Amino acid sequence: MLRLRTSFAYNAKARMKICGWCVLALAVLICGKLFYMQTFQHEEFASKTERTIYNYLKEDRLRGQIYDVKGRALAESVRTHSCGISKRYVQNENETIKFLVDTLGLSKKELEKKFKGTQKFFFVAKKIKPDVYTNLAPVLRTPLGQGLEVTPEYERIHPYGSSAIDLLGMANSKNLGLSGLEQMFNDELSQDISKRRARRSSRGEVIYDRSLKEEKSVGNLYLTIDMLAQYYAETALDKAVKDYEPEHGIILVQQPTTGRILAAASYPRKDGQSLPFQFTYEPGSTFKTIAVVSALDAGSVSIHDAIDMEHRSWDVAKGFTIKDKQHKKDYMTIPEIMAVSSNIGAGKIALELGAKNLFYYITAFGFGTKTDINFNGESKGHVPPYTEWTKVDTVTKGYGYGISLTPIQLIGAYSAIANGGWLMQPHLIDHIEYPNGKIEKKAKVQKIRQVIKPETVATMKKVLEHVVLEGSGTKAKVPGYSVAGKTGTAEKLSKEGGYAKRRHVVSFCGFTPIEDPRFTILVILDNPAKYTFGGTAAAPVFKEVAEGLLAMEGVPMDEPETVPQKKK
Amino acid sequence: MKLFKLVFFLSLLIFGIVVMRSEVNRSGRAIGKLRNEVEIKEARNQYLKLETQRLLGPEEIMRIGQEKLHLRRTPPSQIVKLEK
Repeated sequence: MLRLRTSFAYNAKARMKICGWCVLALAVLICGKLFYMQTFQHEEFASKTERTIYNYLKEDRLRGQIYDVKGRALAESVRTHSCGISKRYVQNENETIKFLVDTLGLSKKELEKKFKGTQKFFFVAKKIKPDVYTNLAPVLRTPLGQGLEVTPEYERIHPYGSSAIDLLGMANSKNLGLSGLEQMFNDELSQDISKRRARRSSRGEVIYDRSLKEEKSVGNLYLTIDMLAQYYAETALDKAVKDYEPEHGIILVQQPTTGRILAAASYPRKDGQSLPFQFTYEPGSTFKTIAVVSALDAGSVSIHDAIDMEHRSWDVAKGFTIKDKQHKKDYMTIPEIMAVSSNIGAGKIALELGAKNLFYYITAFGFGTKTDINFNGESKGHVPPYTEWTKVDTVTKGYGYGISLTPIQLIGAYSAIANGGWLMQPHLIDHIEYPNGKIEKKAKVQKIRQVIKPETVATMKKVLEHVVLEGSGTKAKVPGYSVAGKTGTAEKLSKEGGYAKRRHVVSFCGFTPIEDPRFTILVILDNPAKYTFGGTAAAPVFKEVAEGLLAMEGVPMDEPETVPQKKK
Repeated sequence: MKLFKLVFFLSLLIFGIVVMRSEVNRSGRAIGKLRNEVEIKEARNQYLKLETQRLLGPEEIMRIGQEKLHLRRTPPSQIVKLEK
C-alpha cells in the first residue's frame, strides 16, 4: 500500500514536473518570440500599426484663413461630418431610415432606393453641420446607430458667398486647395496634422489631441483686395452683364501709387478663374494711350502738332486702308485724335515713333511679360518682336491691334501714367501671418522702372482728361472729381479669318482724381450681345465703380465746381 | 491558510485592477463625450460668427438699406470726411 502511494506520489510529482517544464518551455518560447518581434520585427509591426491608426486620418489637415485687406474673413474652414452606411451592420433598416429622414432631413424614397441597391456602402449626407451632428452623435453607440459611419471632414465657408470666388478658388473637404489662391498658397495655408493630432484608445477609438489646436502651424493669408471695393466692382459688372449680355466681363481696380489690387471681378464667376490675369485680348483704342505717350516721351511728336488726316482715308500700304468715320477734320492735334479716337492719327503717331522705339516702350510698360503675381493660368500676352513688323504692323499696333495683352498689364501701364511714370509691381497678397507671430510682408511698394518722364505724364494726363471731358469718354465723368481715361472698341478676330464686324471687345481704362490719383479702373466687356461701344457701355460702369470707391475712401473733391447745383 | 491568503490577495489585486481599468474607461468615455461636445459647440460658434459676418457684409447692408429703409447710395461729392 505504501509502495503504491509512493509510486503515485512519485508519478504525480513527475507529471507536475513535466507539466511545469512544458509551461516553462511555452513561456520561454513566447518570450523568445516576443523578444524577436520586439527586436527584429519592430519596424515592420510599428509601421503596420501606424498605418491602421492613421490611414483613416491621413488627409486630416488644418487650413488657415483668407482675409481681405481690412481683416474680413473671406474663406474659413469649419469642421463638419459626413455620414455613410455599411448595410450589413444595420440592424433594423426601417428604423434607421426613419431616424435618418427625421435627423438629416433626407428623402425617404431615395434612402429606400439606396438600401435596395447593390452597394454595400454608400454616403447619405456630407457636410453635416454641427447643429445636426449634435442630434446624430448620441445614437452612434446605440443599436440604432449600428452601420452608420460618421467621418469628420471640413467645409470651406465663404461668408460673402461667391464674391471674389474667382480669385480665392476652392479647397476640398480634406482641406486641400484645388484652385485659385487656395491652390497657389497651399503650402502656407495647409498642414497635414493627422500623425500629431490623433491616437488610438485601448477600445480602438480615435482620440483627437485637442492641445494641438493651439499649436497649429498654418498661416493666414491677407489679400490686398478690399471686400467693399470688390462688392462695388461685382455689382457694377453684374449690372453691365444684364444690360449688354457679354461673353466675358472684367473689372480691375488698382492703387496706382502702390500697385495694390483692390478689386478684381470676373464674369462668368468661376472658382479659380480670375479673368483679369488670365484673359488675353487685342485692346484696340485703349492702347492708343500707350502709343501716344511713348511718342510724346520720345519726342517724336509734340502736343501741338497738327497731324494730316489724309481726308479720313489713309492708304498705308497696297491693299491696306484705314478710315475714320467719326470726324470730318483734315488736320488734328493729339488731344483731338484721342478725343475722337482716330485710328489714322494713332497709326501715324506710331509710325512716326518707329517700330523699334514703339517696341521698346511696349516692353518697358510690361506688355509681353508676366507680372510677378503669377496667378494660376496668368498669361503673358503676345508682343511679336519689332524685327518681324511691317509698316502696317507698326501702324496697327498704334491703335491696339496685332498685339495681345492681359487686363493686369494694361492697368499697370495706365497706373504708370497716373503715378508719374513708374511701372509698379502689382500685388494681390498683402501679407502672410504665421502662427509664431512672424509676418511675411508681400505687398512692399516696388517700383519696377520709370517708363516715361514726369513732364510727359503731365501732358498725357491733360490729353486723357480731354477724352473724358469732350471726347468719347464723357460718360465716365464723376461729378466733383477729375477723371482721365480712354475708351476702346476693338473688333475681334473672326473664325473665318480677318476681323468680325459684329464681335467686339469694349473697354474703358482710366484713373481718378488726376493730380493725386487714388484708383485706376479698367472695365472690359467681351463680345456684348447688344451692339455697343466702349464710351456707351464701359465708361458708365467706370463711373459707377469710381463713385463707390471715392465714397468708400472719403476722397475729397478736386473739382467741386462740376457738381450740379440743386435748384432752390 | 497560506494558500488562502495568497489567493485572497491575488483576487484583491485583480479586483483592484479591474475596478481601476473600468474607472479609467468610464472617465475616458466621459472625457471623450465632453471633448466631442466642446468641439461641436466650437464649430457651431464658428458658424454663427461667419453668419454674423455675412450679415454685416456690404451685400446684406445694401439690401436691407435699400429694401427696408429705402436708402440710396450717396454720391462721393456729398461725403465729408472728418479729420481726427
